Formats: sequence, C-alpha cells, structure tokens
Amino acid sequence: MWYEIFKFELKYRAKRLDTYIFFIFIFLFSIVAVDFIYQGVDLGLVKKNAPIIIARTMGALTGLTLMIASLIMGVPILRDFEYNMESLMFVNPIKKRDYLLGRFLGSFVVLLIVFTGLIWGNALGEFMPWRDPEELLPFNFMAYIQPFFTVVIPILFFGSALFFVSGALSRKLIVVYTQALFIFVLFMLTRNVENEFLSAILDPFSLNTLSTMTDLWSTPELNGQLIPFNGVLLYSKLFWIAIGMIILIIGYKRFNYNVVKSKSFKKKKQAIIETEIAPPDNEELPNFTVHQGFKSQCIQLLKHSLFYFKSILKEVSFWAIVICAMVIILINSISLGTVYGVDSFPATYFIVEELKEMSGYFFIIILVFYSGELIWKERGAKLSLIYDALPSTDFINLAGKFIGLILIYGVLMLSIIVSGVIFQSFNGYYQFELDLYFISFFGDFLPFLILYTFMSFFIHVMVNKKFVAYILVFTFFIGSVAMGLLGFNHGLYNFGGNKIGAYSSMNGFGHFLAPYLWIKAYWFVFCFILFIISAIFSVRGTETSLIKRWKQAKQRLSKPLKTYASVAILMFIALGSFIFYNTNILNTYWTKTQQLEFRIGYEQNLKQFEYVPQPKITSVNLIVELYPQTRDYTAEGYYILVNSTEASIQNIHVQKLIESDVKLEEVTFEGGATLDDQYLEYSYYQYALNQVLQPGDSIKMSFKQSFTTRGFENGGSNSHVVNNGTFFNNKDFPTLGYSNKYEIRDADDREDFGLAARKGMADRNDPIELKNAVNGDDGYNINFEMVIGTDIDQTAIAPGTLVKHWEDDNRSYFHYKMEQPMINFYSIVSARYEVMKDSWIAPNDSLKTPVDLEIYYHKGHEYNIDRMMSSMKLSFDYFSTNFSPYPYEQMRIMEFPRYAQFAQSFPTAVPFSEGIGFMLDIDDETDVDMAFYITAHELAHQWWGLQVVAANVQGRYMILETLSQYSALMVLRQKYSEAKVQQFLKGELKSYFVGKAKEEHEESTLALVEKEEYIYYRKGAVNMYALQDYIGEANVNLALKRFVKDWNAFDDNFNKERYATTIDLLAYFREVTPKHLQYLITDLFETNTHYDTKVANYSSTKLDNGSYKVDVEYTISKYKTDHKGKRLYGETQNDSLVYKTETMKTPLVSMFLTDYVDVVIFGKAKNDGDTSPPILYNQKHKITEIANTLSIIVDQEPTEVGVDPYCKLIDKNTADNRKSL
Amino acid sequence: MNLIINNLSKTYSNGVKALQNVSLDIPTGMFGLLGPNGAGKSTLMRTIATLQEADTGTVSLGNLDVLNEKHEIRKILGYLPQQFGLYPKISAEVLLNHLAVLKGITNVSERKEVVKALLHKTNLYEKRKQNLGGFSGGMKQRFGIAQALLTNPKLLIVDEPTAGLDPMERNRFYNLLSELGENTVVILSTHIVEDVKELCTNMAIINNGHVLLKGNPLDVIADIEGKVYQKTIHKNELENYKKDYTVIADKLFLGKPIINILSDNDPGHGFSAIPSGLEDVYFSQIFNNRG
Repeated sequence: MWYEIFKFELKYRAKRLDTYIFFIFIFLFSIVAVDFIYQGVDLGLVKKNAPIIIARTMGALTGLTLMIASLIMGVPILRDFEYNMESLMFVNPIKKRDYLLGRFLGSFVVLLIVFTGLIWGNALGEFMPWRDPEELLPFNFMAYIQPFFTVVIPILFFGSALFFVSGALSRKLIVVYTQALFIFVLFMLTRNVENEFLSAILDPFSLNTLSTMTDLWSTPELNGQLIPFNGVLLYSKLFWIAIGMIILIIGYKRFNYNVVKSKSFKKKKQAIIETEIAPPDNEELPNFTVHQGFKSQCIQLLKHSLFYFKSILKEVSFWAIVICAMVIILINSISLGTVYGVDSFPATYFIVEELKEMSGYFFIIILVFYSGELIWKERGAKLSLIYDALPSTDFINLAGKFIGLILIYGVLMLSIIVSGVIFQSFNGYYQFELDLYFISFFGDFLPFLILYTFMSFFIHVMVNKKFVAYILVFTFFIGSVAMGLLGFNHGLYNFGGNKIGAYSSMNGFGHFLAPYLWIKAYWFVFCFILFIISAIFSVRGTETSLIKRWKQAKQRLSKPLKTYASVAILMFIALGSFIFYNTNILNTYWTKTQQLEFRIGYEQNLKQFEYVPQPKITSVNLIVELYPQTRDYTAEGYYILVNSTEASIQNIHVQKLIESDVKLEEVTFEGGATLDDQYLEYSYYQYALNQVLQPGDSIKMSFKQSFTTRGFENGGSNSHVVNNGTFFNNKDFPTLGYSNKYEIRDADDREDFGLAARKGMADRNDPIELKNAVNGDDGYNINFEMVIGTDIDQTAIAPGTLVKHWEDDNRSYFHYKMEQPMINFYSIVSARYEVMKDSWIAPNDSLKTPVDLEIYYHKGHEYNIDRMMSSMKLSFDYFSTNFSPYPYEQMRIMEFPRYAQFAQSFPTAVPFSEGIGFMLDIDDETDVDMAFYITAHELAHQWWGLQVVAANVQGRYMILETLSQYSALMVLRQKYSEAKVQQFLKGELKSYFVGKAKEEHEESTLALVEKEEYIYYRKGAVNMYALQDYIGEANVNLALKRFVKDWNAFDDNFNKERYATTIDLLAYFREVTPKHLQYLITDLFETNTHYDTKVANYSSTKLDNGSYKVDVEYTISKYKTDHKGKRLYGETQNDSLVYKTETMKTPLVSMFLTDYVDVVIFGKAKNDGDTSPPILYNQKHKITEIANTLSIIVDQEPTEVGVDPYCKLIDKNTADNRKSL
Repeated sequence: MNLIINNLSKTYSNGVKALQNVSLDIPTGMFGLLGPNGAGKSTLMRTIATLQEADTGTVSLGNLDVLNEKHEIRKILGYLPQQFGLYPKISAEVLLNHLAVLKGITNVSERKEVVKALLHKTNLYEKRKQNLGGFSGGMKQRFGIAQALLTNPKLLIVDEPTAGLDPMERNRFYNLLSELGENTVVILSTHIVEDVKELCTNMAIINNGHVLLKGNPLDVIADIEGKVYQKTIHKNELENYKKDYTVIADKLFLGKPIINILSDNDPGHGFSAIPSGLEDVYFSQIFNNRG
C-alpha cells in the first residue's frame, strides 16, 4: 500500500511547477557556488576543483539551500490539512505506517532528485568561461558524485526527517521553516565547540569535519585524493542519520491519525457548545458614522498594521526565532577586534557589528517567509473574499501588512539589542552607548530590511505563486550581493545602495553618513513606487492572471495614488540626478573596468620612464592647512632636489597623486621649466628645466597641492582626510618619476590584458633596486620642516621637534622641525586628542638628554596607554643598549580611526590604529600583552627601516620585519615570562601554517622573502627565537649591533653605494655562530626546513636513592620542501635516512642529521592551579639518527617528556612533541 | 435604488461560459437567485461584489457603475461568500472589530457599540471571547452575516448561506435576513427552493449562465397553477414516461418513484392534479432549459 502512496507522491510532485523551479535554482546556484563560497579565499596551491573543495562547497551549499529542503519536506502531510483533504485521506483503509512512509519516501526521493542539481551544477561550473583551466585539475566526475553521497545525502536525510515530522505534527508551514533556523544555530554552535573531534562530529554540514580530516594532508594529497568515507566523517554522518531516525520514530508515534489536531502540543481545545438559543435581538443597530477621510484611513492603517503585527507575535515560531537570535551571541564565539588571540573590550560598535552579522540570517528568514505568509494570510485562511470586498483601499491593505512586518523586525532588533547589552554586562563593560545600538540597527540595518521587504512584497504580488516567489526573493538577494562582488557597486543601480560603513569611536560615521542617507532616500522612493505598483496589482477577488490584473490596475490607480506616484517619480528622478551629480560629475566614478583600463594605460604609456634618472629630495619644507570639518587641505612649500647621479638631468617627472579631488598647482623650478603635458591624463607632469641640473647640483621645486572635497562619492571615499582622525603620509604629496604602485597586480588580470608578468621583487644583485629603498626612494637624508594648521580643537602632528605652537584666526598651528636628517617618509596626523607625556633617558647617555615620549589618544581609550608607555621605555632601553643610540629627541604614538588596522613607524612617530591596540582587553593571566608587543615592534622599526635602510630587493622584509619581530620578542621577555613569549610564538607558528596553506606560488625562504607576511612576520619570529635560543641572545645582538653600525644610512660615515640586503645580514649572523651550529643559518633563513619530532614512548623507574630513571624513545625526521610543497630529503636517492619498524605502515625518511634538539622532562606541578610544571631536565641533544633513545636520571617524579616541546623548530604536528604519562 | 444588470457575460479561461447575457433588474428587498450547482450564481454574485471582472455588460446600482466604481460600491456593500474560513486563533469580537475598522467605523466607542449589537443580533455575544477556531458551521455562518451587516449595507450579497446548516440554524439565519430594511438590495443565492419561497419578494432562476425566469415567486407559481400532475410509478417505467410526458421531477416517496409532469390538460392515466409549488416552477424551468 505504501508503494501506491509513494507513487502518487512522485506523480503529484512531477506535475508541480515548484519542483522544477527548486531544481533549477539549486542547479544554477551550484554553477557559481565555488566562486561564491570561496570568493576572496586564498586556496594556495589547492585547486578549485580539488575533492576537498568540492566536498566543502557541497556541504556549505546544502546548508545554504536547506530552506528548499524545508519547502519540499514540510508539505507532504501539511498539504492534506491545508486543502481540507485530511478527512478524505484518513478515512481510507490506509495504515498510518503506509501513509507516513509513502509520503516521506516519495518526498525524499523528489528531494534527492532536486538536490542532484548540486552535482550537475557544480560539475558544469568547472567548464564555465570564467574558470581558468590552469587553476583546475583534470575533470573527475567522481569528485562530485562521492561527496553527494557522503556529505549531502546524510544531512538531507536528517533535515528531511525534521521538516517532515515538524510539518506533520505542527501542521504549520512556518514551524517547518523555523526548523531550518534551528539547524543553522546548531551549526553555529558546533563552530564554538572547543573539542575538535566533537565539533567535527556535530557539524551538520561537515565543514569542520572535512577540515579536521584533512588538517595534516599535504597539498598534493588535497589535490589528488577523494575524501574517504571513514573516521570522523563516517561517525558524523552516522550520528546525524541516527538522530534523523529518532525524529522519524518520535514523529510516527506522535502523529495522530485523525482529523482533530493532536493534543500533545496544545492544551485541550475548548469546544464551544451552545447551551441555549436565545431569540434574536430585534433592535436596530446603534447609530454610527462611516468615515472615509484621511484621518480614518490613518486609523485603518494603524489598526491594520497592529493586527498583522499581533498575529505574528502570536506565532510560537516567531518567538523561537527571537530566542535563537538572542542566545546566539551568548553561545557563539565573537570576534571582538581580536588581535593575536586577544579580544578587545566589548565596545558597542564591536558588539553591533557582530550582532548584525550573526542575526542577518534570522532577519532574512523572517523577511522572506513572513512577507510571503502575510501576503497570503487571508487567502490561506479562506477569508480573502470577505476582506477583498471591504471598502479599505488597496494601499492600506498592503501597507498594513508591510508595516506589521516592519514592527516585527523592530521587536527582533530590540531583543537583540537587549542581548547585546546583557553580553556587555556579563563582560563587565557598562558603557552601553544605546544611541549607537539604535542608529546601527534602526538607522542602518532596518532600512536595508525595509527595502528588501518592499522588493519581496513586489515579487510576491507579481508572481502570485508562493514558493516560486520565495525562490525569486532568495535569488534576488544573491543576485544583488553578486552584483556588488562583480564590481557593479554604484549606489544608483545596485539595489538598496551600500552599507553605512565602519563606525569609529574617533570619527563616528564620519562623512560616510551623507551619501548613505541620500542613496537610501533614493531607494526608498524607488521602493515606494514599487509598492504602489504592488498595491494596484495585488490580487483582490478571484482574478489572478497578470493580464486581468493589468487591466484592473489602471482602474485601481486611484487619484491619490496617482498623485503619490507622480510625486515619487519626480523625487526619484531628482534624487537620482542629485546623487549622479555628486558621484559622477563633482567626483569621478570608476567602474572596475575603467579602473583596470586606466592602470593599463598608465603602465603602457609611462613604464618607459621607470628608471629615468631623477634627482633626489633632500629637503622638505611645507605649510599644510588642514580643514577637517570640510575635509580639505592645502599644502604649499618646496622640495630641494639634488642630482646625485653622474649625468646631468634635463627633465623632472612629477607624479601627482591620482585622485580627482587632489589638484597640483603652481609648480615652479628655480631657473624656470616648461611643462610637457603629454601625460597629464595620468597626472604625470614632465618639466623640462631651462637650465640643466648638473651632477651634484640642487634645485628648488615649489608647489601647491590642494585636496578639496566636493559633494560626496559613491562609497569607498577617501578615509585619510576625515573630520576627526586625519592621517596621511608623504606619498599623497608629489613624487618623482614613474610610480609602479598604479600597476595592476593580479597576475590573471595582467595576463588577460596582455601585460608582462610582474616580477615580485628584484634579485638581491639588481644594481638599480639595490640603491632603492621604496620608503625613501625619492630621497634620503632629508631635512624636514613643516607647519600644520588645523581646527582649534585638534592637535596636528608631524615628525620632529615642535618648535612653535600658536593660534590664529580660530585655528591652531604647529611648527615642526627635525634636527637630524631623516628618511623621506613622514606622516601628517590631526585629531581631537588627549595626550599622555613621559620621557626617557638613554642609560648610556652621559649628557642625559631626555627623549620625549607622548601618546596621543582618543578620550575614553585609556585602557592600554600605560602598557604602551612602558613598552616604549623598555624598547628604547633594550634597542639603544644592544643595537645603537636613538637619534631623535621625541617619540609619539598617535591613534587613528579604525578604517585601517595597522600601526606604522615614521621618524619619531607611530600612527597606531584605534582597532588594534587601544581597545584590547588584556588579561595578563591568559593573554599576551599585544599593546605592549605591537608598540615594541613599531619602535624597533626606528632601527630596522629608519636607521638600517633595506634595499628594495628580495629579503627586504626580513630585515625590516623579521628583525623587528625579534627585537619586540626580546623586549617582551624583559617584562613578561618566557612562557608568555612561547605562547606568542605558538600563535605565530600556527599563523605561519595557515598562511603557507594559502600560498599560491613558491614558498620563499626568509632570506628571499618578498611580500609574504606569513613568512617574514610569522616564521620570522619563530626562527629568530630559535636562533637566539641556539646561539645565544648576546651573540645575535652582537651581530645586529655590527649590522647597524655598518649599514646605518644616516650615519655621517655611511659611504656605501647601496642599501643592505639579507646577504649582508646573514654574514653577520654567521660570524657569531659557532661552527657546529652553522647549519642553522642555512636551515632557518636560506631553506624551508621542517622537522617532525615525536615522543614515541617513555617510562620512568624509581631508583633506590629516590631519584627517577627516565627512558625516552623518540623519532626525529627533517626535510626541506620544494616550491610545490613536495618533501625533499636530499639531492640524490641514497643520501637520506630511513627508519621502519614492523608496526609502521610507511617508513620515516629524513635528511641526514647532525642537529641539536631540546629534550625536556617536566615534573609534577606543586598545586593544581599552577600551569607551568617544574622543569627537571632541559638539554640540547645532538641527533644523528631518526630513532633515538635516552636514559636520564632526574631527582623528582616525571610527568611529561618533551622533545622540542616549545616548538622552536618548524613542525606542523606539534601535539606529539610532548607525551605525558 | 435598483440594481440593474445588463447583458452580463463571463467566460472563464477554461472555456466555461459562466454567464451569458444576463440581464436582471433587482429592486430593494430580498431577491432570490435560484439555480443548480454550477449554474453561474456565484460568478454573478462575485461580479456584483466587485471581486470578479465581467467580459461584457454593465451592472449599476442607482447611479453607481458597479464594475468600474468598485471602491464606491464596497462602501455600501455587505458580502457573505459561499465558502469562507476564519482566523482560528482570534476571537469573534476581535475580528469583527477589525473588520469594522476597515469598513470605516473608526470611532472607538461607536464601533464598540455596533460590534456589540451585531454580536447580540447574531446570538454570538456569549461566545465573543472564544477563538473562532472552535466555532461550529452555524456559528461561523452567523459570524459571516454579522460582518456583512456591519455599516448597514445598501447592497447585501449572501451566497448560498444555508448550505450545510441544520434546520434550526437555517431558521435563525432567515430571521436575521428578514429583518433587513426595505431599502436594501439583498441578493440571496441558493439552490434550495424553500429558501426563496419563504424569504424573497423577487426571484430569478438561472442555469448554465442563462436567466431562465424572473418574477415574483407567487406569480410564477400562479403561472403553472393547475398544470402539474403526479403519479406513483414503477422503477422501470420511468424512461417510458419521460418519452411521453414532460417529466419535471422524479423523486422517491416511501421508497417508490413518484413523477411530476407538466401538462396543460389532464393527462389521465392515473395522474392526479396537485397544487403547484415553486419547486415545480424551478424544475420545469431547468427541464425546459435542458431540453
């Protein structure tokens, strides 16, 4: 019997349009899925059709399209109730089992067929024209089939069981949709489960599961192997299938095979029985008036809105969503501007951003489903004919539903705000900034939702098929997101415009607010027009065909509506024109293509000038007038240029910053010059000097640059010049010669446009770049003087000594002058600042000249300034003692808005983002003091970068950044324990491996590193720590001291013809390294060397004298990797070590070893709370074999043995470096 | 103020001709629209109730064009559809109150009084706080009439209101309708002849989209007075009789077939004259039309 029902279900579904729409949606979405899901994710050398990527994509897609599963699986039982078929069905001699089984299996088969769209779509996606065949592996259909069975089907089964049962028991569609939300919340929960295994098991979409499984796989394995269906993946799927079965069994037991609703969910319904029949009352109706005026229409609208609002408030499912949304912030791990694992204080803007991100899904669900539910509410209850014959207007009918839904958003937002405030209170933070909560939710998020609700209503009305409309609304969502991603982001045509932009406590919403509001207003008017169309097209009565409704619509466009529509259309045109005038006429709007074309033109026309000899800047003297409130500035003054080449120079090439609001005027040269305006379209000014500049001669170049804000731009406008927190550097002022920063970087784009591949960085013997230092390539050893005027309440800061400060014309002026020569690299900063002042005297300075230490910070951001100040002092102590004296008389840290997240070192100045150090909530017990560390790192650049200038060749960033990492680590150790340093390094090692996995090219060595942060920051820190551990801190410092002494470009005796490279640096290291450790320099800096250490076994026996004998077995293998990540063991076949025991499946292979490694034995912690157990033994052992045994006598009972337990050597699997009893 | 329907036609997209040149002049008072299932009654009712478009023809009420001035019509319209549901989770009072707002009774105290009065009138007052989900068919129907009576409509359309009601509920419903003032146009569609006979001053019989007959129930009965004859027959004789006579009805009486025929003079053969009723008019019209 069940088979008949099963067949009926299939036939029924085959006739439904929905079924096909669902398939097409999944199919089309799947075609672009990999690009959509991995948008902006670096996969490194893993290809986009690698089995792991396909499996993860399918997992994520299943999650994203689970709603469709709920639409299919929720209805099979529900349908009978909806169409009042239940009596007819249940009265038949069908067993409950057959009925449920038939319907379930029938729908499930349909679901599976619909979801095969995943396979076809994803597979077809591989052949789409935008996919680069070189980025793909050979097509392997199994890689699509297999995850469909292993990843997708089990979770579909679980979801189906849940949706089917919830639909059958609740008999409400909305309850079914809500289940999909529960699965989503569950998924979020699993991301927060600390235990990796548990998290892998519980993840319904297998994203965690798959990454756990392949964590230790190498790139070739990831590309080459299908994901086996075993281990955690198998367990996870069995788990979910089991849960699905349990749900089905519960559903089966609970399902009441009769027409009256099951009582298990509700208290007994009171049947209404009339006890007596009173005679009808024959009185006339009391007097009343029927109002039709404006006032009564307002009342009708209000009541109507409240009616729908209340009707949703009565839904249990709505409150389920509210509770989910409220608890998700409490259960989900929140990223609070986390820097190196240290959270910030839960300032309101962090909370708001997280809340918005996490709750977005909930709002979209409510938007999509409740808008459909409301549109169909009367028809669903079969009340529509009564409603439709009422004299209320079309507009009020639809507007009531609309406003009711908006009020619902409001309730959810308020609930979420409450949970945000609770979260802050739990964390002991009480500056709630309710205004910011409200502005962010009701001023930014709500308008977004309102606009999409308009669209959803419009689609529902026009399509007039509930499920089709759902799909279309989802498609519209995805479409507008995709449009933005593809670079079609002009607010005039990208639906709804852009988001409000980042909030900074320094600058508020800044100048981003105005364009946001204008563009929102524009879209609101647009949507209002849509709404009027929706109202007159809304189904009223029994005519549903679009043609009939089109005819009716003309009639239904009542006079007031006509007036509103005309006004709205006029406003729409006016607003659109105004926005267009601002973004495209006052300012320049560039599409992505236009930008690319411009860059290509720049490169093709001007590349010829890249190495044209140009003079160098030796003096900068400028008067800068900042007008923060109007976001303008002028800079007027001169450069002195000197010809340091050996030939005379006729032409001077001046590059103005390419930005339409920047103007360069009044450029004059001593002795006169003629402008060649051939390349002016690229802001490239060529001046032919009247008098040739002879070698060694200098010339004065005067100019005036202005930055003028006109109107507003289409988002992404300049965030350097802002109302409070202006920060820009000299690269905004005229530079000399061709600027390769305008070249297209993306290798694929370059290839597409026929440009030669761009070389990352020059070789270390490139004669031109050796004399170049980017930061100061237009000059070196400049004399610097600057006067900055700004608003009276702001402080403006540039490098050097503040010679004079005065006020004039209600403006504040600051005159800075640098006493010593400095690099041509300076920042200009202005904001309303508080300041903390202190001073430092070099310990070895006999003159006791104080250096002024100042921290300029935003009021309220005092949390970490003491840490920063302490770091400044300790850094100066350490660096001036161990490297060289600090040449300047002041050091300033200035906070700037969080539009960018970095700190940067300029002579005497470190602009420091609001987002990375000032707001960190540092717990000295558990966290590394990152405010302290970052300060030390930036101060180290006053040596590495501002004294030693690194040549612009490979390895440059090792000198600048790796040495700064080392220096900061050593300062960190001055204040904090070794354990903290190791905690920090553990994070660095992890980040290194994360970065390495994303590497798309050859992994460089440190000595040849180009722009790979994961190498020069992360691996650099780990390896420098190892170096000082092996050869001694004093020796490293001695080497660095010599390095600075010889390569300080600002030393009077500096006479080198070029800047420093890693060849030079490593020579100093070699000099101080003992012979038996020389291999380290090669391993750490010149090759990519990996170790795999493992404590295989250990035992301890108590000796008669009370001490313990510890026997340790451990293995060590060492290998180097080539550029494809392949392990190399040596040059030829027979120069490697091999070790294999009977129980091992594959042998261990290693390079020959003459290495040293830490062996550490830990004792029992004295009390439970003590996290660092006593160290009973700690020695470096020389290793020559893979397998090693040791016997060590210690005087206390050992608890744990470690081989390289502090992970000083690069080792991917560090967990087995230690073994405890 | 008469409701004048002129040459109204409607063909559905599936080809069903629901209305064909329907013309009616409906005065104030109760008007019965009689016809079998699928005759086009509901289509006509919905068209008058502004819920459906006609292909051709006009409908006017006084000087209002019903088909084009829908909004004006809705202001004076009361409509009880043939089938309708109610929100299960709200009470009669709340829903009636809400409908009253939408009908324009925006003054709070007035609305309260009207709702109260109507709930009394329909004998639902006691149950006003109960959720509509628990209402019986009769109570639901009474709620339907309560909402149709809000704002004292000038035009009241009730589509098959007594279908599925037990006799007691039906009586209660008639009482409600019969109280309506003389100056309201009330159109009652039904396939139950008794309804029309008991309530209506005017009527029309409609089948297959055509108006077959219109007039006062008493007049139309008088027209066939003395022409209806009856006979008890055997089951297998029916076909023969149908050949020979104008059989307008065959039904069972105590398990035996009885046929009614229409004849201008006494047919003899055991037929006996019976007093004619509206039912006979109805069946004779349907029969003729079929023929």
